[in-house]
Formats: sequence, C-alpha cells, structure tokens
Amino acid sequence: MKKIAFSIAKSRTKFLLLLFVVEMVVLSLISPYFFSINNLVQVTQFGAALTLLSLGESLVMIAGRDGIDISVGSAMSLSGVLFGLAVMNGCSIFTATVITLIGGILLGTVNGLLVAAAKVPALIATLGTQYIYGSLALYLTGGIPISGFPDSFKALSLESTFGIPNQILFVVVPVTFVVFILVYKMKFGRRVYLLGTNPEAAKYTGIREKQIRMCVYMLAGLLAAVSAIINNSWLMTARADAGSGMEMQAITVAVLGGIGVAGGVGHLGGVLIGVIIITMMNSGLQIANVNSIWQLATLGFILIIAIILNHMMERFVANVEKSRK
Amino acid sequence: MLKKYVPKPGRREYVTFLLLVVEIILFGILAPNFLTVDNLIRVIQNNAEIAMVSIGMTIVMLLGGIDLSVGSVMGVIAIVIGYMLQAEVNIFLIILAAIVIGVGVGFLNGFLIARFDIPDMIVTIATMNIWKAVIFALLGGKWLTGLNPGYAVITRAKVLGIPLLLILIIIIYAGFYYFLMYRRFGRHIYATGCNPQAANLSGINVKRVKLVSYCISGGIAAIAAMLYIARMGSVEMTIGSDLAIACIAAVTIGGTGAKGNGKRGSVIGTLAGVLFIAFLKNGIVILGIPSLLENCFIGLLIVLSVLFDALTAGKGVAQ
Repeated sequence: MKKIAFSIAKSRTKFLLLLFVVEMVVLSLISPYFFSINNLVQVTQFGAALTLLSLGESLVMIAGRDGIDISVGSAMSLSGVLFGLAVMNGCSIFTATVITLIGGILLGTVNGLLVAAAKVPALIATLGTQYIYGSLALYLTGGIPISGFPDSFKALSLESTFGIPNQILFVVVPVTFVVFILVYKMKFGRRVYLLGTNPEAAKYTGIREKQIRMCVYMLAGLLAAVSAIINNSWLMTARADAGSGMEMQAITVAVLGGIGVAGGVGHLGGVLIGVIIITMMNSGLQIANVNSIWQLATLGFILIIAIILNHMMERFVANVEKSRK
Repeated sequence: MLKKYVPKPGRREYVTFLLLVVEIILFGILAPNFLTVDNLIRVIQNNAEIAMVSIGMTIVMLLGGIDLSVGSVMGVIAIVIGYMLQAEVNIFLIILAAIVIGVGVGFLNGFLIARFDIPDMIVTIATMNIWKAVIFALLGGKWLTGLNPGYAVITRAKVLGIPLLLILIIIIYAGFYYFLMYRRFGRHIYATGCNPQAANLSGINVKRVKLVSYCISGGIAAIAAMLYIARMGSVEMTIGSDLAIACIAAVTIGGTGAKGNGKRGSVIGTLAGVLFIAFLKNGIVILGIPSLLENCFIGLLIVLSVLFDALTAGKGVAQ
C-alpha cells in the first residue's frame, strides 16, 4: 500500500490520472449522460482556448524569476477584437489571421520588454498590461461585440471531422505538438528549464537570458492570439471580454499540472492532463446546472488544495527516501 | 542627535508628490470646475475605501507579497454588515463582527501563505474567487438597499469647513506611518520585505510577521466595508471588483515596489499615489475622455512607475 502511495506521490502524472479517474466516476454518478464517448470527445472543444493559454502560461512560469503572465486573458480579448476589426474592414480571413498573430506577438513583446529587458517584476508588469489590453479591447469595440463573420469561418470551430471538433484536430493538437518539440527536443526548451532552475548557472553557460525570456513571453502572446481566433470562430463574435478570467484558469491549470511557481519544475504533459480535468469539471458542473461563479470558486479550492497536496507529497517523498537510506 | 535614527520618506515619495502637484495644476488649467472645493471633497469621499485598503496593500507589498482578494473580502463584509443593519443589531456589535470577520479572513490568507509557503498571488487569486462566489451566494442576485448606519454622519460631517473624512484619513495614515517607521513590528515588516533570510537569521519570526500583516490587511478591509456602506447605502453584486487593482496601482505609483523591494516606499507615498489616481479618474471624467479608456491610463501609470523604479533601482545602490 505504502509502495503504491509512494509511486503516486512521486509521479505527478500518475497522481493526475488518479484524480482524473475519480472525477470521471463522480461526474458520471451525477449525470448518466456524461460518460458517453461522444460527449467526452465533444467536451474537449470547451478546453481548446484554455489548452493554448496554459501552455504559454506554463512556459512563462518554468522560465523562472517569478515569471507569471496575468495579461494572457486580456491579450486574448484584444487580439480577438483585432481579428474582428480586421475582418469588418474588409480583410480576408487569412489576412486577418496573420494580422492577429502578429498583434499577439507584439502584445507578448511588450510584456517581454518590461520583464526581460527592464527587469520589472513580472506580476506587476503584466497586471499593468492586463489593464491596458483589456481597456483597449473595450475601447476599440465600444463595448459592443463584433459579429457578422462570413459563414465559412464556422468551419474552424463549429464543425467536426471524424467526430472530433475541428479546432482540436487541426489547431490544438498540431500547435501542442510543435510546442512540445520546441520545448523537449530542441535547445530552446533546455535553456528555458535551465533559466528556471538556476539563472546563475545559465548565465555562465552563455545562455542569453534576455533573449530566451523575451521569446517565452512572445510565445505566450502568440498562443493567446491563436486561442482568440479559435474562440472567435466558436462564438462567431469577437467580444472584448472573451478572455476575462482566462488567466486565472490558465494559472490554476499550470499549478495543478505540477508547474512550480519558482520556476524550472514541472512538465507540460501534466498541464495537458490538468486542462482535461478542469474542462471536464466545468462541463460537468454545467450539466449539473451550477452557476459559473461557482466554477471559479471550485477552481480556487482546487488551486489551494493542489498546492497543499504538492507540499505534503514533497514531504512524504522526502520522508520515505530518508527512511530508505 | 536623535535625528540619525529617524527614518524619513525617501526621494521616491517626493517624486510622487511632485507628480500630484503637476497633475492638479494641469487639470486646474484644462478644466475650470476641477479646482472647486465641492469637487475636491467629492473626490476624497469617493476614494475613501481605496485610501483605506491601500494601507493594508502597502504593508503586504512591503513584505514582497500582494493581496488580490481585498475587494471581494470587502464585499463579503459589507454584505454581512448590510444584513445585520437590516436586522437592527446593535451598531457596536456590527462593527465588532465586521472587524472579526476581516481579521479572520486575513488570517486565512496569511496562514496559507506562511504555513505552506504558497506564493501570495496564487493564494489570494484563489481566495478572491471563493469570496466572489460567497458574495453571489449571500446576495442571490438581489441588491441590499436603504442601509443607513448610525456612524454614516462621519462621511458627511465637516470640521471648520474641512470634511471630517479627510481629517480621519490623514490621522490614520499618520498613525500607520508612525507604526511602520518607529514601532518594532513595523521595522520587522521592512526587514522581512528587504531580505527574508537575513530577517529570519536575526531572530525575526518571519512567518508571524506575514500572518499578522495579512490580518491587518483584512481588518482594514473591514473598515473600508463600513465606509462603503456609509457612503453608498446599498450593496450590489459587483462590489469591490476593481478595488484590488486600484490599490495596487496607488501603492506602486507611491513607490512601494513588489517582490522584496522593502527598502523603498512608505504609506506617505501611498497616500500621494491614492490622491494621484483619484484626481486622474476625476479629471478624465471632467475632460470628457471616454471612460472606457480609464483603466488603460491606470495600467499605463502602473507600468510607467514600475519601469521608473526598475530603471532607477540599480543607481546609487551597488548590486
């Protein structure tokens, strides 16, 4: 028994899978409709934007120096509004997409310049930019959602291929694949992790800290822009509040997935399982007809419990390893 | 002789005061009805809560932390006060209950942060959302209106033509300045914020300092809730949703940086920051700039002032 507990406590992935199974059992007890393959696949579309946002957020956190990006939600709102305005002003969907992606990278660059180049604390810098981006999004739309996208735009997020929602199959999976290759098969990823675990050592190894950190924030901005486009197609409107609260969800997912807040710790795979758990929980609560404000509160509880569990499991693992010696 | 031991506000606070004066002169020239006594009094009344909560935020940020939950905490307490007023409970009991709840909620934040070493931001984001749900549950979609507590006179009374509220705020700020600069616990807060390890080694109970600071922040949120009820006479769902960010803006503009920047900043700077943002918001409305852009200006100010701090941080102090 203790052996099993030890192996679960030591591996984040095993622990998350266990949590996932428990959640599935609870949710299928609440609603019999939940546990059908069709529903399970369809539910993934709710997590599309969140997956991309939390990948960016996790990378920012892994890169360390108290890295955090509170502005991802507002960046998503603003780039979504940019996309909507571009389409309204006669751009084709393709041009609008290019404009939005460049816009997203620029928004990330602003964060990156503040945090990496000017060495401003990431928390305050991104809190400020969150305000700026969110307010600009509101101002550009005048508070009125932009709608009237061409019908063909529906194909991105409202249709399915082989029963799998298009945005998952054609956007989220490939993008996640690319991010994983970038982080786990290329030098870039090793540098990001080294920056997080030991910035001093990274400096002496000749890693250009500013450059890497800038790249990480730009990547977060880019991913926010991609999720904004998916979201626009899903709702067929561009709303100035599309991303409000998303940063909270992204941070929760990252911490639940085992990303250490101090940097350098955690694997993006855990984050993916975290996204699935949160998405399932949200849709389960929706099926059970619980108000969305309670979903946020539940997220809050999960966040606190996840960190306390982290704390306890670290201690447990340390104890067991000590007694073995 | 004694002068050596007296901590003075640093140069950073003067910068904020200078900005404040420039701002007031600028708006005074641009908008003719800005510099009227009525307007100035209204600005102070409307920002009394921000002025109060910013004190707690300053203390927490001097420690290198942040408290994002203050707004929702204030909301929860305001609702409890509202229900107790409707039930016609004794006013002293209400005040006592409000402060007990405030300190208790602050204790919860501080306990999670100090005991489990969880980053301040994560804990307070989580508790913020939990308290938001509590507000929703307590109100159930309706408004509490027609509340008129006995102490509401304070917010309207004048002494020699000066609003009593302004005098109270100045007294409270002076009290906290004394507390932070001259009392032992206040110095412990600065020491902990400056260098937690060094503070710990020199015998300061860092965890206790953090815990008590969050309790103070919660207690102040309770006082702000009382002021809110006295001013508005009603409570609605969105109460306090922008409070935390406004306070963080005031504190950063006032010169207290986040993340262990305990060398800088004091409540005096925070007061200047509060007034700066209050007049800015007022001036934006009077000048007819679209109010949707208001947050953009505040965000820009936060970014500019942390940028200023970051660029000047290396100067003078060898790093």
